[in-house]
Parts: sequence; structure tokens; C-alpha cells
Amino acid sequence: MSVDVVGLVWLVPGIPLAAAIVNGLFGRRWLHRTTGVIASVALGLSAALGLAIFFAVLASGGQPRVVTLYEWIGVGDFRVDTAALVDPLSATMVAVVAGISFLIHIFSIGYMEHDRGIHRFFTWLPLFVFFMLTLVLADNYLLMFVGWEGVGLCSYLLIGFWFEKPAPYTAANKAFWMNRIGDWGFTIGTILTFLTFGSLNFHEVFDKVAGVAQTQPLTITFIALAFFLGATGKSAQLPLYSWLPDAMEGPTPVSALIHAATMVTAGVYLVARSTPIFADAGSALVVVGIVGAVTALFAATIALVQVDIKRVLAYSTVSQLGYMFLACGVGAPIAAIFHLATHAFFKALLFLGSGSVIHATEEQDMRRMGGLRRKMPITYWTFLLAGGALAAIPPLAGFWSKDEIVGAAFTSGHQILWSVGIGTGLLTAFYTTRMIYLTFHGEPRDHHLYDHAHESPPVMTVPLMLLAAGAVLAGLVLGFPPDAGFIHRFLAGVVSAEAGQQPEAPNYVLIAVLAAVAVVAALIGIGIGYAMYARRRPDPAAVSRAAGPIYTLLVNKYFVDELYDHRIIDGGRALFGAAWAFDAHIIDGIVDRLAWLTALIGSGLRRVQTGVVGNYALSIAAGLLVLIVVYGGYATGMLHR
Amino acid sequence: MLDFLGLVVFAIFTIMIVGAGLGVVLANRVTTSALLMAFTFLNMAGMFVLLGAETIAAFQVLIYVGAITVLILYGVMFTPQTPRAYGLFFQKQTPWGAVLAALAALPVIVVAFSFHDAKTVAPPGGDLNALAIAVFNSFAFPFEVASVLLLAAMVGAIVLVKRESPAAPPAAPLRRSEPPR
Amino acid sequence: MPLAAFIAVSAALFFIGVAGVLVRRNAVVILMSVELMLNATNLAFVAFSRRLGVAGERGSVFVVFIFVVAAAEVAVGLAIILAAYRNRPTVDVDQLDEMKG
Repeated sequence: MSVDVVGLVWLVPGIPLAAAIVNGLFGRRWLHRTTGVIASVALGLSAALGLAIFFAVLASGGQPRVVTLYEWIGVGDFRVDTAALVDPLSATMVAVVAGISFLIHIFSIGYMEHDRGIHRFFTWLPLFVFFMLTLVLADNYLLMFVGWEGVGLCSYLLIGFWFEKPAPYTAANKAFWMNRIGDWGFTIGTILTFLTFGSLNFHEVFDKVAGVAQTQPLTITFIALAFFLGATGKSAQLPLYSWLPDAMEGPTPVSALIHAATMVTAGVYLVARSTPIFADAGSALVVVGIVGAVTALFAATIALVQVDIKRVLAYSTVSQLGYMFLACGVGAPIAAIFHLATHAFFKALLFLGSGSVIHATEEQDMRRMGGLRRKMPITYWTFLLAGGALAAIPPLAGFWSKDEIVGAAFTSGHQILWSVGIGTGLLTAFYTTRMIYLTFHGEPRDHHLYDHAHESPPVMTVPLMLLAAGAVLAGLVLGFPPDAGFIHRFLAGVVSAEAGQQPEAPNYVLIAVLAAVAVVAALIGIGIGYAMYARRRPDPAAVSRAAGPIYTLLVNKYFVDELYDHRIIDGGRALFGAAWAFDAHIIDGIVDRLAWLTALIGSGLRRVQTGVVGNYALSIAAGLLVLIVVYGGYATGMLHR
Repeated sequence: MLDFLGLVVFAIFTIMIVGAGLGVVLANRVTTSALLMAFTFLNMAGMFVLLGAETIAAFQVLIYVGAITVLILYGVMFTPQTPRAYGLFFQKQTPWGAVLAALAALPVIVVAFSFHDAKTVAPPGGDLNALAIAVFNSFAFPFEVASVLLLAAMVGAIVLVKRESPAAPPAAPLRRSEPPR
Repeated sequence: MPLAAFIAVSAALFFIGVAGVLVRRNAVVILMSVELMLNATNLAFVAFSRRLGVAGERGSVFVVFIFVVAAAEVAVGLAIILAAYRNRPTVDVDQLDEMKG
């Protein structure tokens, strides 16, 4: 094998782009359902190449390589290329993104089968993959921003996919505007990076960070915070998280791919990629950790009481993303990427499983489901495995990665964050149990719905099974033994965690104790869930009555949407009203006056235009006379040159 | 002696050209103007002969006296030309125009006399050879372009003057038999 | 023959033409005046060409092209006059003031 696989890296995003273009141009008129096959085949090729690149990077010992497509911007010393940085981090991301995208595309063939807009769906989904791969492959912040905005656009388009209904397009607008706030942070960070380092290239910036941190520590902190603001927008952290639950208005495969497995992890990727900046950013790192931990707990509490199966998963996603930021904040970005990878498997599986249920019942409210395990055995078992992974039951994937994050919080001396992580783990186990029980166990609560339910076709169940294999094995394969597993050795060269005081050799006793605590917490959560929903002791209704105002608070999601609507939006309206008045009266006023002046001059000058040819001829002759006089002046020397 | 004769002939032509030219501008009847214009052109041909440009003189007679005059006469024919009170055929700007033309003419004529030392030399054996060589060698391409210009002018003139064919019936769908009421 | 004489005659005829364009009302007469101006320049060209002697017939070549342009101009000019007359039955140029601002 002498093929330079890494040199072909641009084909990985290129093939999905080609599929998107073909489907976009010809889908509506000619291809229709074939678009799904085209997109899936393209994604299959892309995923195969992505895996090949992953192994090529592995074989080369993790040496980073830059594959330049062409020079994008070159101004003086400033140079930005359209170039791919292929190193262990991006190779891991490419393998995860391309692989999961492939499975979700296949699933979508079945899920979207009866939708009239299927060609639109299979235009935007590969386009999203193209932008996501551009984002993770970029070797500089500017190209990354292109991908960043591109995935935001595709997210907007796909959330509002069923735009005939009011809820999806409202949700799409909300997602777009919230992301704009985050994008603003990214832009500020990029500009500051350029001003500080004179470059946007990752390697050039990271080489200079340590030096600049000596002289301008505040600047580095500010850059880190700006990038983190961007990350909170894209990755749905406090305070910009509230678009993600609403984004569930999109088709379920979109929720699985964009709003669970890939796009929302872009913020984590950004922080992990910028580890050298964050490592020197001092207090910014603490902010990241705290925001992550608070978000994890906050979202998990909301997830306790939601009745829409996809909303539970959405808040769960927000919560798990919080874990990833917690890991970044305590100086364990490798654990963050590890959790990103495992979470991609089991959360995509959970979403696809819920998609399978929704496809079968056309219902999202868990209160009307129940007993579906007998009708949909494959969906049930895969869902159960993924739920176990989410609840961090050993040896499923989620256990290894989440335990590592929580453990890193403890070993780095953040005991409070550790306890938040353990508590969130308990809540996670509880709401997962509740979700699974309400959906699949018990007696059918809506017999009409139950009688029409059916197992999904193989095109949907096969991806479920493949993802289930990932949800079971990914943790063991990537992360065993703890803190010294494959992924740690693979990523150590790139994501050097200087800030975290991780011991050279893992302390396995401590790890085991911490893991035991986490597992016990998870089991307690499952036990409470089982007691409440299987045994009705205590009865959930009684518990919610007893909780009273707290329950109301949770059901209404802490009234955050209302707060945003009434305080921030109204404040914004007032500001925009003032801006509009300024525009209407001052800016437009000036323009109007100018126009009025022009009209005045014009109405005076129009008298010159008599429309009579003779007058025009006369003026030509007058011009001739002037020419003659001037020429004569020069010729006779009366005028001087 | 020959020089003197030439001068006399030149003087006669000059008087004819200037007189007939003024006549074109001042004549009341348009037909008179047109004929005086042809007469001016004829005398101009004489000037060309004096300059030893016999070929140009021949062209002058053929094109101006022949073609252009005939065209102008057609123009006169197709538009109503009723002689009217003398003051009415001038534009309102006439004084301005006359003054301006005179003011511009004065310095030009003064400059013209600054060439009083220079002589014109008629080439021996006529100008046809030299003209033909120049047109078909150095100026072959412009010459071809000029033919295209003539073609374009011809097409343009036809398009401008062509009458619209009597209004064709609008392209409404033909109405078949009306359904009985 | 002195060059100055020819140039003076040319200038005189040219400005007679200019005056004609400026003072006359009738479009056809204006066209004739333009022809007078063109012919005056022809005379100047040939005269200057003669001053150069046998150095070439460059001036005369220009005269040939002026003939071409004059013929084209008078054809199109007359067509315009006829078209304008059809639109509005007058050949008086100061009646044609649709372009008045």
C-alpha cells in the first residue's frame, strides 16, 4: 500500500458536498427517493475514507500533517489557507462524524420515506456533514469558522424542515439567533487572536501562546472566554442552551446527527483544539468548568419531568455536553473528547431509537406509550443498551468516559465539581430509567396507538444495532485501562493537558473507589426510578404533588424561556425601536434632505433642457468657440502652458 | 501668365462658392436651397481640379452633385415645403447663432491667412495612382469598414422609414362557433 | 497657388454651414448646411495634402472616407426627418421639443 490516504483527506468532506450538490440540483425533479441512496453511498465512501485516514494517522504514530488545498487569503505576512490539519484529534473527530453520519443517513432512508420533502432532507444532511468535516479538519480559526457557520445554517434549515407548521420555524429562528450570540463570541475571539498573534493558524498561534501569556495574561483569558462564549452557543450551555430542546421540532435523524452526535459537540472540539490557549488562560478555565457543571446539573433536573421523549433526550444532551465542558475545565480535554466519542454513539442511538418509536406510533408523548417492548424488540434492546451507557453502567461506553471526567474533577482538586458530577449522574440514571420504563414497559396506556405500533424495517434497525455495538464497545476499546487507554496515548501529543495536575501513572485504587461511588450513585438513581415507575411506591403523581412549587419550576424549565422573552427580548425591542427611530429620523432624514436638495437643483437645471435641437447645436458652437479661443491663446503665446 | 489665369479662375470659384453657400442658408424656398447647394458642390469640384485632385473632383461630382443632391430633393419632395414669410423660417435663436458663427469664423480665417507663405503643389500626372495605392494598401481595412458603415446606414434608413404594415389582427385565439345561448 | 487662399475659402464655407445649422428652422435645410460643412473640410484636407506635395495622398484618402460618411449621414438623416414628420407633421426643428426637461 503506497497510497497516500492522508493526502486524500479533502475527499472526506468533498464527497458529501458532491452528493448535496447532485441532490440539490436534480433531487426535486428526477431523483426523489433516490436522493437517500445517493447520500448514503456518498457518506459510506466518506466514512470509509475517514476510517482509513484514522488508521493511517495511527500507523504514522500520530504525526500531525497539513494538507493544503489552496491559498485562501494572502495579504502581506497574513496567510490563511484552505488546509486540513490531520492529527489524532481531527482524525478521531472525522472517524466519529463520518461514521455516525453514515449510519444516520441509512436510518433516514427509512424514516423519511413518506415525506414529500425528502430531496431537501438529503440535500441538507450531506451538506451539513460537509461543513462539520470542514470544521473539524480546518487548520486555522477562519476556516473553522466557515464550517462553524455552515453547520449552523444547516441546523437552521433542518430544524425548520417542516416549515409549514409554526413550531418548527419558530424553533429554527430561535436556534439561529441564539447561535448568533455564540458566533459573535467566536468572531471576537478570532479577531483578538489575529490581533494578538498576527496569525490564525493553529500551530503558529499555539507556538506563541506561552510567550504571550507571560506579557499579556489578560488578553489570553479574554480570548479564551470569547471562544468559550462561541462554544456555549453551539454546544447549548448556559446561558445559551434553550434553543436545543426546541430544536427537537426537526426530524428525529436530524436531532440524532446534529443536535446530539456532531454539531453540538463543535464547541467541545473548539475548546479541546484550543487547549494551549485555555491552559494559559487562568481563570477562564475555571469558568468553563463551572459553567459545564452547572449546565449538567441544571439540564438534568429539567429532564426529570419532561414528558416528550425527544425533549428528555435533548436536555440529557445539554447535560452530557456540560460534562464535556466540565472535563475541559478541570484540565482533562482528552476525557472530554473521549466522552464526546462515546456520547456520539449512545446518544445518536437513543435518538434513532426514539425516532423508531415515533415512526411506529407517530407520537412523542411518553404518557401515551407503554409496553412497546413487545412490539419493537430490536428498538427496545438497543435503546436499553444506550440508556445503560447514558446512565454510566459498567461496562457500557458511557461509564468509562463519564467516570473519567468525574474522576478528573476529583483528582484535580475540584471536589465541588466532582460532587455535582456524581449528583448529575444519579439524576441521569433516574430520568433514563423513567424514560425507558414509560416508553417500553408497563401496560399500554393508549391501545389504539399500541395496536398500530410495529417494528421498523431493517433499513432502520440495522443502523440501530451497529450503533448499539458502538455504545457497548466504544468505551472499552478506546478507554481501557482508565486514564491510560488507547485514546489517551493517541491524543496525548495533541491535547496536552498541562493545566490539569494529572499524575504520571494512574492511581488505580483511587480510580476504582471513585468509580464505585459513581456506579453506586447511578444504581441509586435506577433504583428510585424503578421504585417509582414500576412499583408505584412512591407514586410519581404523589411525589410531584409533594414537590409542589419545585415541580412547577421544573416542568416550566425554570421559566428561562419566559425570562428571555420578557426581559431580554423586550429590552432588545426597546433598543431596536430606538435604533429604528434613529435610522428613520436622523439617517433617513439626512438622506431625505440630500434628495430634496438634489431635486431643487434639478428643477432649476431642467430649464436648460429645452428639447429644441437648435439650442443644443448653439451650445456645441459655443463650445467650438471656446476651443478656438483657447487654442488661439496658446498658439499666439497669450496663454502659457 | 498662367499663374494669373489660375488666380482669376480661383477668384471666380471663390465668389461662386461663398455666394451660393450664403444662398443655401438664406433662400426662402427649400428647392432653391437644394439647387444652390448642388451648385456649390459643383464649384467645389472646380477647386479640387485647381488643386490637381482630379479624382476627388470626379467623386465630388458623382457623390455630392449626383447622389446627395438627389437624396435631399427626395427629402424635400416627401415633406411639405410651403414658402412662408421670411422672418418665420429663422429660429428664435437666430441672432445668437449668427453672432456666434461670425465670432468663430473670424479667428479661423485669420489663422488661415497665416499660411500665406505656403504653396500648393499639384502632383504631376494626377492623383489617381497615389490615391489608389494609399486606399488599397495602408487604408484597406478602414476602406472595408466604410463599406460596412454604408450597409448599416442603408439598413437603418430602411428600418426608420418603413411603415408599419397595417395593424395585424391581435394574436387572440380564434373564436370558434359560440355556444348557443 | 497659395495655400492660405484655399484654407480661407474652406473656413468661410464651413462657417456659412455653421450659421445655416444655427439659424434655419427647416430640418432639410439644416441637413444641407451640414453637407456644406463637410465639403468645406474636404477642401481643407485636399489643400493641406497638396502642401505636403507628393509625400502621399493621406489627406485625399480622408476625403474619400468623408464622402462615405456624408452619404451615410444624409441617408439616415433624411430617414429620421421623414420618421419624425410622420410622428408629428412638421419639419421645423424648434417644434420638435418632446425632449424638453
